[in-house]
Amino acid sequence: MSRSIKKGPYVHESVMKKIDAMNAANEKKVIKTWSRSSTILPTFLGHTIAVYDGRKHVPVYVSEDMVGHKLGEFAPTRTYKGHTGKSEKATGLK
Amino acid sequence: MKIPSQDLVAIGKIVAPHGVRGDVRIMPLTDFPERFRKLKETFLADGTNLAVEGVKYHKQFVLLKFRGLDSMNAVEHLRNQILHVQEQDLVGLPEGQYYHFQIIGLSVYNEADELLGTITDILATGSNDVYVAETAGQKSIMIPALKEVVKTIDLANKKMIVKLQEEWKD
Repeated sequence: MSRSIKKGPYVHESVMKKIDAMNAANEKKVIKTWSRSSTILPTFLGHTIAVYDGRKHVPVYVSEDMVGHKLGEFAPTRTYKGHTGKSEKATGLK
Repeated sequence: MKIPSQDLVAIGKIVAPHGVRGDVRIMPLTDFPERFRKLKETFLADGTNLAVEGVKYHKQFVLLKFRGLDSMNAVEHLRNQILHVQEQDLVGLPEGQYYHFQIIGLSVYNEADELLGTITDILATGSNDVYVAETAGQKSIMIPALKEVVKTIDLANKKMIVKLQEEWKD
């Protein structure tokens, strides 16, 4: 069963408090959180949130297309090292 | 012609033979599966050369036909082998994009030119990639691949300069 619309999206209290404080002060710091079930709101845009993956905090930059998803979706809890060491996989700066 | 294995980069894994005419089913290990269309030759891990005769796409797989291997029995021994290309034949990347093997092993420095560690792994999060750097004390630093954090990537000198963001303190 999906969450009641009346309640609004779930966001952990401490995450919301820190985001609101940073937006008010217009500053950017990395927020560490264990709350993987918090929903990403439009007010999170442009912030970097370090989401716990069970072992470490993974820094995730929040962009527009992530709104409505949960923080935990961007910090995978299982690591697959792949088939081979040197492959044609690319990375870039966002 | 055999190529030294350190010059080879993996592009796919042979999963199984496909049909009876010597086609093999490839699971792409590359970010550019369309690169197989122009593939002329490929190498096994031991450097053995295979000439590509035909390419087809089927679901999430690529079907390759190698010259001189015309039956299912002829390609059965290739099962689970990794296909490679030479580094000079890699797909060209736009500016600001790098291959994982170019980034792994870089030394990470802060803006004060202090050594922080060496990059050992790259995590894909669905948003930004994250570079994992191991420090001398076996601690790991997670570096988000963001322009405001990673200031310089110098592949020639194997050096990355970062400006780590301050963390929220309660």
